[in-house]
Amino acid sequence: MAAIIETSGLTRSYGDICALKPLDLCVPEGEWLTVMGHSGSGKSTLLNLLGGLDRPSGGSIHVRGTDLATLSEDGLARFRRDCVGIIFQQHHLIPYLTALENVMMSQYFHSVPDEAEARHALERVGLGHRLKNRPGELSGGEQQRVCIARAIINSPRLLLGDEPTGNLDHKSTTMVMELLRELRDEERFSIVMVTHNQEVAAWGDRTIHMDDGCLVREERTKSC
Amino acid sequence: MTKRRWLAHIVFRALVHRRGRTLLLLAVLTLASSLATALGLVSVSMRARVAEETKRYGANLVIMPESARVEVGSGGLRFGAIGEPAYLAQDQVLAALARSGVKGDYSFHLKGVLTLKGVEIPCEGVDFAQVRRLSPWWQVDGDWPRPGEVLGGSDLTQRYHVHSGDLFDFTFGKETVRARVSGVVTSGGDEDDSLFVNLPELQQQMGRPGQVSEVRLLADPGNGPLKEQAACLQRFLPGASVKELRQVGRTSEELLGKVQLLMLLVTAVVLVCAGSSVAGTMSTTVLERSKEIGLMKAMGGSRWDLLKIFSAEALLLGVGAGVGGFLLGGLIAKFVARSVFAADAALRPEFLSVAVGVSLLLALAGSVGPLLSVFRLDPVQSLRGE
Ligand SMILES: Nc1ncnc2c1ncn2[C@@H]1O[C@H](COP(=O)(O)OP(=O)(O)O)[C@@H](O)[C@H]1O
Ligand SMILES: [Mg+2]
Repeated sequence: MAAIIETSGLTRSYGDICALKPLDLCVPEGEWLTVMGHSGSGKSTLLNLLGGLDRPSGGSIHVRGTDLATLSEDGLARFRRDCVGIIFQQHHLIPYLTALENVMMSQYFHSVPDEAEARHALERVGLGHRLKNRPGELSGGEQQRVCIARAIINSPRLLLGDEPTGNLDHKSTTMVMELLRELRDEERFSIVMVTHNQEVAAWGDRTIHMDDGCLVREERTKSC
Repeated sequence: MTKRRWLAHIVFRALVHRRGRTLLLLAVLTLASSLATALGLVSVSMRARVAEETKRYGANLVIMPESARVEVGSGGLRFGAIGEPAYLAQDQVLAALARSGVKGDYSFHLKGVLTLKGVEIPCEGVDFAQVRRLSPWWQVDGDWPRPGEVLGGSDLTQRYHVHSGDLFDFTFGKETVRARVSGVVTSGGDEDDSLFVNLPELQQQMGRPGQVSEVRLLADPGNGPLKEQAACLQRFLPGASVKELRQVGRTSEELLGKVQLLMLLVTAVVLVCAGSSVAGTMSTTVLERSKEIGLMKAMGGSRWDLLKIFSAEALLLGVGAGVGGFLLGGLIAKFVARSVFAADAALRPEFLSVAVGVSLLLALAGSVGPLLSVFRLDPVQSLRGE
């Protein structure tokens, strides 16, 4: 199977701090990869590099065959809106827009806002009845589902999650994970998800463990 | 939904979300642009007022042929001009007026001499309609002359026992003409010593058709400083000399210039203050919204997309405040004009562009710094933990 992500010798350092030591990683198309590790081990750094939010200090990073290092600032923005959907731990929804409008914002950057399509995306994540609510009026789990709807609205090939269930209780976490699996089965996108939660990791196909910027361990999840 | 409508929609939402700050910005911009509008309107109405007053003092420029000005004498004493009297062609003056763009009422004068009762007396050929317009203070006892009639200065008529309605024989050179004196004019100036004849008639008698010895001109003071207008006219009249006439109106014109300068300075200071206040408020807003900006970038918004959103906000504020400033400025101008110099300052539609321009310029100038930081903002940094 073709690789959606291929890195070789990928590093990122902040001055003297080496947040990511040379990393060779290959993620096949359609895989659900979980990244685990202590706080400060470089997980977010890796995810930001994969999402084209940050630039590597060294090494190369190819996503769907594109060398991210060669892209300009605007090229990276284009890459983000065409290929990537991102879900954060803090939901980062725009507070003055409704759930529907938050999803449409993503369409605006990608192409044109399409209300029917955005509504359909929210219905898929089970929020058909909360379209007109602002983020402040939604529960944590609901907000995260709005973020998922927003992340998948432009049919990305790669979904990145930086501890997306970190702020959720057990029930909401299960709901979000079920939703993600369902969507992935339909849309066949790849997922790279950072988590501390062993249970969440169990939803993925493969887990890599990081420590101090290094990949230290790798394991296949039994269910696959 | 089109992209443009969506942009307007979210910009509007963002402005309403921060309504306190939006109102503050609107207030600052409205006040600044209303001040600029009000001072502009007051200045225009003052200018019109001064122009109107200047008119009451008659001509402010005089055009004479070059050699006619070589006068003998000093101080107030004049012993007459040396050499032949010189003349100007009416056509040439009219053409110069048209080409220089100097506008205003004018009157042609041809100075001559005629003999009355065996005595030489000064006479002047004029177009009476022009004179009446340019010298509204002339008081005529009797009637203004019709063709074939003359007007006598009050001193002259008294000296020679001439009354309105009398018929006299006037001699120009060899020819004698019988004419009726239609009235007596009192102007309080040199004119009271002269006899006024229809210009074409005197030109014919003197054998100088289409020629005059002096042109008086009331250049519109609203068209710029008198000195400049005189210089401009002079360029088109090489054979003549254009001189300013000292008049009371000059003082008010100079005063007006100073007042305008003062108003301009006040406006400049206010605009600078308003601009920095806009810049401060905008910076705070951008700082507060850095997470939102980072998020938009993470979602795939390019730097230009973000710039567009934020400058659209500034644009909307600028235009809104500009319209408000125009209306408020009109009210202020009306109040100032009425209470300070009892005139009316009408709201001129062309000032709408001034008001909107000022407020737009302030909004955009105040946003340059904040917009730059929006442009540069790193999404990873701004989205990092709470
Ligand atoms: N902008 C930055 N400047 C300096 N150090 C940074 C910066 N961002 C991250 N780091 C450091 O890089 C290391 C990895 O951070 P991160 O990838 O956020 O860890 P985590 O695994 O908790 O997500 C940490 O030691 C962190 O202090
Ligand atoms: Mg992290």
